[in-house]
Amino acid sequence: MSEHHISTDKTLLGVGGALLVLTILTAVVHYAHLPQPWSIIAAMFIAVLKASLVAMFFMNLFWDKRFNAMLLVSSVVFFLLLIGFTLLDTLFRLPPTPAF
Amino acid sequence: MANHSSSTSHSRFLQHHFVDAEQQFDAAKMGMWIFLVTEILFFGGLFAAYIVYRMLYPELFSMAAEELNVLWGTVNTVVLIGSSLTVAMAIKSAQKNQVKNIAINLGITLLLACIFMVIKYFEWEHKFHLGIFPGEAYSFEGIDHPKASIFFSLYYLMTGLHGIHVLIGMGLMIWLLKRSLQGDFNSEYYTPVEITGLYWHLVDIIWIFLYPLFYLIH
Amino acid sequence: METAEASSNLKKIQVQRFKPESDPDETYLTEETGIWSWLTTVDHKKIGIMYLASITFFFFIGGLMALLLRTELWTPAKTFIEANTYNQLFTLHGSIMIFLFLVPSVPAALGNFILPMQLGAKDVAFPRLNLLSYYLYLAGAGIAVFAILNGGIDTGWTFYTPYSTSTGGAVTTMTFGVFVIGFSSILTGVNFITTIHKMRAPGLTWDKLPLFCWGLYATSIIQILATPVLAITLALVAMERILGIGIFDPALGGDPVLYQHFFWFYSHPAVYIMIVPGFGVVSEVITTFSRKHIFGYWAIALSSLAIAFIGFLVWGHHMFVSGQAALASMVFSFLTFLVGIPTGIKMFNWTATLYKGSIDLKSPLLYIFGFFFLFLVGGLTGIVLASIALDVHLHDTYYVVAHFHFVMVGGMVMAFLAGLHYWWPKITGKMYNEILAKIACAIIFIGFNVTFLPQFVMGSQGMPRRYFNYIEQFQPFHQVSTIGSYILGFGFVMVFYYLVKSIFRGEKAPANPWGSRSLEWQVASPPPLHNFHHTPVIVNGPYDYHKPMDEFQLGLAESGNGHGHESDAELHTDGKSIEAE
Repeated sequence: MSEHHISTDKTLLGVGGALLVLTILTAVVHYAHLPQPWSIIAAMFIAVLKASLVAMFFMNLFWDKRFNAMLLVSSVVFFLLLIGFTLLDTLFRLPPTPAF
Repeated sequence: MANHSSSTSHSRFLQHHFVDAEQQFDAAKMGMWIFLVTEILFFGGLFAAYIVYRMLYPELFSMAAEELNVLWGTVNTVVLIGSSLTVAMAIKSAQKNQVKNIAINLGITLLLACIFMVIKYFEWEHKFHLGIFPGEAYSFEGIDHPKASIFFSLYYLMTGLHGIHVLIGMGLMIWLLKRSLQGDFNSEYYTPVEITGLYWHLVDIIWIFLYPLFYLIH
Repeated sequence: METAEASSNLKKIQVQRFKPESDPDETYLTEETGIWSWLTTVDHKKIGIMYLASITFFFFIGGLMALLLRTELWTPAKTFIEANTYNQLFTLHGSIMIFLFLVPSVPAALGNFILPMQLGAKDVAFPRLNLLSYYLYLAGAGIAVFAILNGGIDTGWTFYTPYSTSTGGAVTTMTFGVFVIGFSSILTGVNFITTIHKMRAPGLTWDKLPLFCWGLYATSIIQILATPVLAITLALVAMERILGIGIFDPALGGDPVLYQHFFWFYSHPAVYIMIVPGFGVVSEVITTFSRKHIFGYWAIALSSLAIAFIGFLVWGHHMFVSGQAALASMVFSFLTFLVGIPTGIKMFNWTATLYKGSIDLKSPLLYIFGFFFLFLVGGLTGIVLASIALDVHLHDTYYVVAHFHFVMVGGMVMAFLAGLHYWWPKITGKMYNEILAKIACAIIFIGFNVTFLPQFVMGSQGMPRRYFNYIEQFQPFHQVSTIGSYILGFGFVMVFYYLVKSIFRGEKAPANPWGSRSLEWQVASPPPLHNFHHTPVIVNGPYDYHKPMDEFQLGLAESGNGHGHESDAELHTDGKSIEAE
């Protein structure tokens, strides 16, 4: 088992610390009451950043075989397809025609 | 593709149809990742419903989110992140053959998961007390919106499904803890710790998204 | 495969020829016997056979329901069953045929048996998960039967809201059953993808992967991406019924069309879960019986993946008249036409494979020819239905019913039967009656067309699907269709008869009765418990019919891997060395 990457304590604790800071940051941004749509954009940006940190360093994707990372990315892509095409309908529906 | 000509490390956990432990480890890990894909799309259906309704009734979401407690949501986020960290530490301990540390880290993870569920329980309990139930049982008067129950239905479904995953994760942690106390895991064999860890991190990632989507709306 | 691994594998290895035993003493059927060994087996071959038995059972149950439905439609009004019973019967016919027969038919039954052998592996990557998947399938089927006996379901197999959330009966139980079956399907998908990635024999690179494996690979991708969405959707329907959460119920502020989006995000790709493995069978059978390299290997392999991908972009064509936004309908209509491209590529490549081949018209190939005609009609009428203007007229008519039966029965069941006949000697070690097989194929082909061609005519004249009563002008069409269904049913019973008979009275099958070059034919029939006593080594592609047979029977010279039988070593003497990749 030569190829397995072994994370150092420094990396793990560093990533854990970064996640903690980002969590506090997103709460602070919430209380700053940014105007819409910026508050949701900021919140989602921080969430994606945190998720990427977990995926790359806790789940080892940064060192792991590319295929596993591809699996994660493709699942997100297919989720985006689901929501994208659904919104293509729900956002563009005409109001119901009144009875005639 | 596995290198079929080498068959050196024959751990007692090697199954008959694999050539070596490396192939077995890789296969197990890839299988877990593929399973995580299905988990993401499983939650994806709920996230899609959330997005559709948030775009349909944006004012409802900002009104109803007032009822959620940002402080406890944040505390729970920190708790789950901590548990993810300890799982990663457990895997590292296994890789470095620090057999005792595996069990310690798994134990802390289990404890943090319990704390998460206890906080979750008090949050739900408080809402039930106010009459905020999912679906038709909803009887809270404080939100002036005809569709208010939809927000809380989504809230209960998504945090509930996540909670079920945490409970399953706790079951797995107990199993891992038992096996690690038996001394099953070391630097040669730690596949169950590794793939349970992947599962646990995914549960954490899902919470990382649930937290701003429900608690941090204004 | 990673390049780093490939370069480290560049070394000389000793190989020798392993001739398959013609009359094996020990096979997977004889080494572990007794009912308990079957129920607890983790052997992919036995699990495949258990699946085969189960899907055959449910196929005949579903078929019986179809015959009851057709008989009821003999007259415009009530013939012999109540309208409500009729509704329950067509719901069950659809649910059973789709969830309990079509989805597991080729992947879980034939795929389970053949895939590891084609890869030169001893088993799938997760044998215990494989067994669990079978028991989940049985459990799901059991829950479904429980639901039928405790109230029944009359929603159609699609469980459309708001009807499914307001009607009586056992919809909640049924959705739970489908949920469990879906989990079984996911486990099969996880298992197959990992197996194809990690369990290939030395030398079996991606460009030498049999096309059946490519088909199963594409199928598994769809299974893992689409099935979870169905699971959560059905869970939401159950929640809607139990708690009234109002996500899909318009009375509570929900959106019933959202249900259709979620449902078809699974169920349209699910159509490809059912048909793509059939494509894989076609490729195998075509090359074997035309003794020729497949035409356009990569075109066929990648078009399976393309179909799998495009299949996720077209679900909205089921909702053209559901109140979906016009913009979405246009986009979905356009994308649906795209499915025709990879499917057309496949059809042309198969035809080109036959060209100048030395064709041996055995029954598996005959079934494939049936597949060609019927699937072509099914595919082309699909294009008709994809255009919005025509679909508004044809939606929910018998035209749609005929279209998907041409694809599913004419395409998939024919391909499944072809695969079953093709691999039957390998699975059972017995040959079936070839003449009866050809006659049955003809009967099924005729019966099928008599059943479903009139439905195209009826549908285009406006006969709606799922109706208990109809106006008298349609009676002749309905009666012809009913007669056809009896012919079709007789054909299937005949297949069942001679196949089962062959198990007891059939001739012993040789290891490779069709002269195929593919790896599963290079071991004894039926195969040994662990498939190969040696570690197979692959130097040629699976369709290199211009190369001699002995180049396809190579294995590592000093292998065995703990499962080799010492007695085998004597059989093989002509060791030689090759440059292995």
